[in-house]
Amino acid sequence: MNPITADRRHFEDLVVGETVNLGSVKVTREMILSFAREFDPLPFHLDEAAAKRSLLGGLASSGWQTAALTLRLLGDGFLNRIAAAGGLGFSDLKWKKPVMKGDTIWATATVAELRRSRHHPQWGIVGIDLAVRNQRGQPVMTMRLANLVEARDPETGMQAQVVQPYDVEQGGGQ
Amino acid sequence: MTRWFEDVTIDEPFPLGSHTFTEAEILAFGREYDPQYFHVDPAAASQSHFGGVVASGWHTVLVGHRKMVDALDAEEVRLRDLGQEPGVSGPSPGVNRMEFKSPVRPGDTVTYMLTVTGKRPSNSIPGWGLLFNSLDAVNQRGETVYHAELVGFSKLRDFKMPRRLAMLQALTKVPVLGKLLGQRS
Repeated sequence: MNPITADRRHFEDLVVGETVNLGSVKVTREMILSFAREFDPLPFHLDEAAAKRSLLGGLASSGWQTAALTLRLLGDGFLNRIAAAGGLGFSDLKWKKPVMKGDTIWATATVAELRRSRHHPQWGIVGIDLAVRNQRGQPVMTMRLANLVEARDPETGMQAQVVQPYDVEQGGGQ
Repeated sequence: MTRWFEDVTIDEPFPLGSHTFTEAEILAFGREYDPQYFHVDPAAASQSHFGGVVASGWHTVLVGHRKMVDALDAEEVRLRDLGQEPGVSGPSPGVNRMEFKSPVRPGDTVTYMLTVTGKRPSNSIPGWGLLFNSLDAVNQRGETVYHAELVGFSKLRDFKMPRRLAMLQALTKVPVLGKLLGQRS
């Protein structure tokens, strides 16, 4: 057993439908500018005057910044409390509304799907629905993540393999 | 894209360049955005199935996005130098799929490639088209790091707004009417 994750919740301890409130983060002007300079140097994320003239009507964070800040909330509130073993990716990421300077975003994670890995009996895969809203309760981003989680009992996984022929996962996780 | 919707060619690979991930930047990104032990703690990471520190998948994706912004900027400059007017791109509505295929370790070099795999005029935003993009990241051993399917907007060059639509759009500028019309769309 992995000594780092031994005391954490494992795959068998998770339940479909379980929702975790991940808390919130305020997105300041400084955060927007510093993230944009590093990862998304477009005028409407970097320059208040240009942002006012753009479709967004003011300084807005990069959609990728909203995703990265949500990832941090997910790490602190969920992934670091379970025996997470790496991400497999995500699907259906939708940016629904821009996050403007001074907005506070808050996120919830819902366990949407649980299945054993077909190729790796030591792991299960958890599908997590992330929902992010602003301080007015408006949805700003949604997505479905897939993450590996260590299983307590690899033997169960070997048996489960027989009844889960649809599992096409191939990745090794990041 | 820096090309007009009409000029976007399908399945033509557009190289975005490469990036070498150092251990210092992998750890710094992990501490800020993805503090799982295999992204932030080399000693603990050696106990994981990775056998050492690996970059957060999101880190590799954000660097890929940065490479794309820079490459499209350079393409815009190139087009202007040729005396052409570059196209206009809009904000992205989202990502359909992102598959993390193999981890990135300190010292790995990742090469990024963008390919437009499909396009169609937008149904909801007149004058704009939707681009369906693939972004593939490959390491120095030729292994896929991630494969992404992204959606983007690109402006139509030859679009002429129908008169009825132009009138409707002008009406949305009237505050009360705009609100009512906005609720319909």
